[in-house]
Amino acid sequence: MRIGAAAIGLTIASFSCPAHAADVVIGVPAWPSAQVTAHIIADTLKDRLGIETELRERGTLTILSEVGRGNIQVHPEVWLPNLTDLVEKLAEQEKVLRLSPHGVAATQNICATRETLDQTGIKAVADLAKPEMAAKFDSDGDGKGEIWIGAPTWSSTEIEKIRAHSYGYDRTMTLLEMPEDVAMAGVDAAVSLGRPIVFYCYGPHHVFQLHDVVMLEEPPYDPSRWTLVKRAEDSAWLEKSHADTAWDASEFHVAYAASLETERPDAASFLSAIELGPEDITAMSYAVVVEGRPVEDVAKDWIAQNEDRIGEWTK
Amino acid sequence: MTGMPGGLRAVLKWMPSAVGVLVLAGAALAQAFETQIYDPNTRQWVDYTPKAAARFYNRHGQSPKEFRRQVVQFRTAEKPGTIIIDGDRHFLYLVQPNFQAIRYGIGVGRDGFGWAGIVKVGRKQEWPTWTPPPEMIARDPESAKWAGGMPGGPDNPLGARAMYLYVGNKDSIYRIHGTNQPWTIGLNISSGCIRLNNEDVSDLYSRVEVGAKVIVLMQGAALYKGV
Repeated sequence: MRIGAAAIGLTIASFSCPAHAADVVIGVPAWPSAQVTAHIIADTLKDRLGIETELRERGTLTILSEVGRGNIQVHPEVWLPNLTDLVEKLAEQEKVLRLSPHGVAATQNICATRETLDQTGIKAVADLAKPEMAAKFDSDGDGKGEIWIGAPTWSSTEIEKIRAHSYGYDRTMTLLEMPEDVAMAGVDAAVSLGRPIVFYCYGPHHVFQLHDVVMLEEPPYDPSRWTLVKRAEDSAWLEKSHADTAWDASEFHVAYAASLETERPDAASFLSAIELGPEDITAMSYAVVVEGRPVEDVAKDWIAQNEDRIGEWTK
Repeated sequence: MTGMPGGLRAVLKWMPSAVGVLVLAGAALAQAFETQIYDPNTRQWVDYTPKAAARFYNRHGQSPKEFRRQVVQFRTAEKPGTIIIDGDRHFLYLVQPNFQAIRYGIGVGRDGFGWAGIVKVGRKQEWPTWTPPPEMIARDPESAKWAGGMPGGPDNPLGARAMYLYVGNKDSIYRIHGTNQPWTIGLNISSGCIRLNNEDVSDLYSRVEVGAKVIVLMQGAALYKGV
């Protein structure tokens, strides 16, 4: 899911950047659970290990690249399989990146509200390729349905285009790319009016708490039916790519610079020990987005409520 | 959907009319919709055209119930005070606490450029001055007499209140404003921006603070450039 630079300036929270040189620079991607995790890491490094930190707001790809260049030391939430290629390059070939062994299980799907299933009879992602079904999601009157497939800068969005092409619903549906706030407000409005809607969804995410959301059916992940060619590498990427099954099991990890193992082994040890669960991530996301609480406060509360776990991780 | 004054029960549905739009933040194509209302007396769907809307307004003194200000259930992650605009459905939501919103009926541009994305209320003005853009003066010589600005008042097309939408600290030229043509609520007819009737825009104005987040839905981007 969310990869790359922040979508729109107005939606970006600001973070303080100390003027002095920090021992550890922590990248802060533009989504709430990663922001909270970044603050938890920063506060813990400082308070428990006495390490000066700097929080640096960047897109996910940029943060990973900067880890490769030695300018950033920590990425709080690296999504796989979305970034598998880059992670393999940095971790296995260049050996400059380490992933925490503890991944958080995640999901990536096409979702609908439960009311949508009742109204339209849709069950599976493949149903969207049927013009008569797609027309039920037509909100702009061109005869085609509309579906949000992610924010423009997320790597998942490129893959969702491939999936839409492979399933064939890129011919029956208009694929919408927008900041997440706009897409989620669209879901809110559809629910309020009782109108059908389908959209790319990922979890852990607060939308599953907010609305009765159902993942549409797909054949299980089959690697033989997933061939991804990157747009940046080949202008014929869409035609050469194929993906018409569900996503592979997704997960995300804390990642950090391998150099920390020699320069700050206590920090490396802590980062590799961090073990968050889906319930942690959902709670962080809900507190920031739904309850509107500052990221810093959510992080501090989480630390206060999880001193024992942090104690284990910093042993 | 709901009962109508004078015993007329109207149901709204949305019929398309293709309108090309420019979408902010680089994505969705959005188009405008025309509304239909259902007349149970004739058992016919009737286009909610400007003529039909004016007739309805003259008969009932207000717009169909769907377009009147009302509190609706609205589960959202957006904070109270956020505005969500759905141009296709002709609704503006003002998010309230406890998963509710105040829903207002709106009129949007009949054609031209629209957009979707996130902006904010950068400025508010009571009884705003209206200055016709050069394109309008070229199209409608009558408007030329106001080239220097038409003072605020009941005949001013911006109506009783205006909220100026900014991208960052820059005026986007889009506004949420009132109208001197209240029967146009629910239509794609306005020659600009997002219009509410004067009572509703005053209500919204009193509740919205400068800096409020405004989300224009991607499917609801039938906004018109300028006023």
